[in-house]
Amino acid sequence: MATGNYFTTYREEQRIFFTHIDGLLFALFLASFFLWPFFIELSSKYMLILDNILIAVIAVYGLNLVTGFGGLISVGHAAFVGVGAYTVACLAQIIGDQHVVITHAWPLMILAAGITGAVFGFIVGLPALRLKHLYLLMATLSFQLIFQWVVGFMDFFNQGQFIYVGRVFWFTGEVGRSVHYRFWYYVLLVTVVMLGFGVRNLLRTRYGRSLVAVRDNDRAADAMGMHPGFTKVFAFGLAGFFAGIAGAMQAYLNRGAGFETFTLHESIQYLAMTIVGGLGSLPGSFFGPAAIKILDLQMENLAGWAGNVLPSSLDLATGLRPLSFGLIIVLFLMFEPRGIANWWRILRSYVKLWPFRY
Amino acid sequence: MSYFLQLVFSGVVVGSIYALAAIGFVLIYKSSRVLNLAHGQLIAAGAYITYILTVWVGIPIYLSFVMSMIITFFLAMSVERIFLRRLIGEPIISVIMVTIGLMSIIDGVIYLTPFGSENFSFPAFLPTEPIMLWGTYLSYTQVVGVIITFVLIGAFSWFFKKSTVGISMRAVSDDQMASMSIGISVPKVFGLAWATAGLTAAAAGGILGNIVGLNFDTLHAFGIIVFPVVILGGLDSLPGAVVAGIIMGLTQQFASGYLDGNWGLNGTADLLPYIILLVLLLFKPHGLFGTHEIERV
Repeated sequence: MATGNYFTTYREEQRIFFTHIDGLLFALFLASFFLWPFFIELSSKYMLILDNILIAVIAVYGLNLVTGFGGLISVGHAAFVGVGAYTVACLAQIIGDQHVVITHAWPLMILAAGITGAVFGFIVGLPALRLKHLYLLMATLSFQLIFQWVVGFMDFFNQGQFIYVGRVFWFTGEVGRSVHYRFWYYVLLVTVVMLGFGVRNLLRTRYGRSLVAVRDNDRAADAMGMHPGFTKVFAFGLAGFFAGIAGAMQAYLNRGAGFETFTLHESIQYLAMTIVGGLGSLPGSFFGPAAIKILDLQMENLAGWAGNVLPSSLDLATGLRPLSFGLIIVLFLMFEPRGIANWWRILRSYVKLWPFRY
Repeated sequence: MSYFLQLVFSGVVVGSIYALAAIGFVLIYKSSRVLNLAHGQLIAAGAYITYILTVWVGIPIYLSFVMSMIITFFLAMSVERIFLRRLIGEPIISVIMVTIGLMSIIDGVIYLTPFGSENFSFPAFLPTEPIMLWGTYLSYTQVVGVIITFVLIGAFSWFFKKSTVGISMRAVSDDQMASMSIGISVPKVFGLAWATAGLTAAAAGGILGNIVGLNFDTLHAFGIIVFPVVILGGLDSLPGAVVAGIIMGLTQQFASGYLDGNWGLNGTADLLPYIILLVLLLFKPHGLFGTHEIERV
């Protein structure tokens, strides 16, 4: 492992892995994620949570591009995820949820959902051609509310009731109930790795660098020949793409789409994941969703426990969730604005330089 | 015709409450350039505090209305003091995200109380028989609500135009550095802006609670409609907030009066403000009365 900065050319600095040992360690780390299900049997409840974390990671990639690297707040990310989910669900409703397109061509469906999400992202991002971040927040907020209205009131979307999506087929035949979560764990893991490398490489390209430049100073970026407006609109499109993919996979995993997973509260939850993980940091996209989903689980346990102890008819979980997410957003912004990714950075440099302090 | 007039009257009633709510939002934006996303939650909190004081404590409503305004004044001031004071100088994006967090926190707290799931309504303290006016019906609550709203709007306009504190608030919104150099305490003005916003929010919440009853979903939706209102009026314009509030109220009433039920549409009143907002952002982002910022490198 490299203990310091020994670059002699810019090309070296641009590499993803600085040494072979770094790459090897990363490969081992990745392999462990693929191999552990062969040794440990996890109950389907926890497998589902794991799958949900991975879906959230994909969505947070997108939100991190917009909010972290682009500096634009989006409070409509759950709606973009919803666009992806409803792309699959609506097609399932039109052609039947057991149709061969839904069950066999699911990778194409997921891609199509991503593209649909990207189109909506472009449309919502259009005000970016003229405006700065405050107004874009309003644009995403109104998209979120319009989405909620459209899904909640229109018959085509079953008025927000659950729309079923059939089980998918793999080479070995239909993916049954017993292996459903494990199958999607692998699909999600492959997607997360591919998209993760995609994001990492995107940030090394001309576009990724201009995105960061526009965030830091849009006027200077403009003067250097970048187009701040198009850069931002494109960031929204990319965020929509990631969200759409996450949504389609969520629809397949939950075997359908319902209204309540795409509300404003969910959008704030995605924002909390991004902030807690670390704005503008790729490792943060993994830490944030994991931390928030675990917190969510703990809050549910706490609510269940308190519901037994307290003679109360209230549903504590509906209150505790927004309370804890809001609190964690505020606390992280006040005391650790760079998120868990910063702790990871400190830990890594500590391990690299051990036994020396710095 | 009387149907039309009925819609106009109720549009003005709702719109003037929007105006009152929007004033607080504009105030915070004007003085500190922060979009306060938790404003709707402040309105809800004001409504619930009024209800608690009136019904559970048993204070006469005129007094409890004023008391809830004072309590929310200090509540908003302490929110500013605890959460936002230490973020002065941080990028504005993180301050806005803090208000998103606050929104979530207040939501959570309200869900933990009985108010989150049950409906309440204020006891009638005015005559309940409606007033007939040109073939339309108006309730006393609505009339009194509108009168209180306009009195408050007038009082605040006077406050900003004439009083020393108001003038210093306008000075800070104009140029922070310059106002610091002539001896205005900028953090104090920020705190005061938040506190005043809390005051107007509580007033709006109290009036709204009397007119439509206390349902958290309704109050929540009401709080979010403040955003289209302020964008329509221009983010930093107080008269704009008043005009836009009334326009939005009328639009909503006409939508629910004429669009709903026809062509298979339903609930358009909840949708239309956001479509207006998206279109405005594309074509006239500075609203009706907002200042056009000119940026130079």
